[in-house]
Amino acid sequence: MNWIMKQIRKEEWSPYAAGVLLGIVGILTVALAHALLSESGAFENLAAYIGKVISPSNMYFNYVMPAQITFPVVLMVGVFFGGMLGALSSGTFKFRTMDSEQWKKAFGKQTWKRWLLLFLGGIIVEFAAGIAGGCTSGLAISGGMLLAPAAFLFIAGMFASGIITALVIYGKKY
Amino acid sequence: MTYVIALVLGVAFGFSLNKAGLTKYHKVVNQFRLTDMAVLKFMMTALVVTMLGVYPMRALGWITFPTVPATYIVGNLAGGLLFGVGMALTGT
Repeated sequence: MNWIMKQIRKEEWSPYAAGVLLGIVGILTVALAHALLSESGAFENLAAYIGKVISPSNMYFNYVMPAQITFPVVLMVGVFFGGMLGALSSGTFKFRTMDSEQWKKAFGKQTWKRWLLLFLGGIIVEFAAGIAGGCTSGLAISGGMLLAPAAFLFIAGMFASGIITALVIYGKKY
Repeated sequence: MTYVIALVLGVAFGFSLNKAGLTKYHKVVNQFRLTDMAVLKFMMTALVVTMLGVYPMRALGWITFPTVPATYIVGNLAGGLLFGVGMALTGT
């Protein structure tokens, strides 16, 4: 029991241990909910509430991503509290401005730069997830679990461009 | 009921992401700089564990699989290529 508490209080687990936990979550998602661990769809479902006001006859927001509280929306709420629980359990919970030591070293101390890039990057990520039909969790992980070819195409593309982008933005600091 | 399951699974999902350190900028970006392989180790372990669980269960006829994301080569690949750019920029 003490050992378990000690493990839970650790800030960082071995990625293999955390992976096993996610694997179990994956099994339960398929077995109990008959669903995928999709995340990016949740943002689209929520965006559809606004989208339908602007364009009531929009096909995408009426049929592809309707304005509903879907499984991913609830899952996303859970992920928020799960991440919070993880931080609370290790005592690292605090309000942050998305700071990162590595970021500051490479790109300077200005927080607004980080926020701007986060905002633009967020748009890119969500838009790309819309094109591909899922994000890292919904397509790469959940699709990969069920050996969907789409997942492996997505992972290949993600790593190819991710490595190149990191190479470009880090330049000589790479 | 489905919502309760979704919430519990979501909490466990978020917890695992936090413990793997994937909530941190440097973990994600360093994966793309190939200096820290945690993201790949985490993802691939999860894939293998789930496969070990769900494939035998399907073979025994206990469960059926949900519809997997559709394969459309250009879309999946183009989406992935764009996604990687955003991911490396934000580190999320």
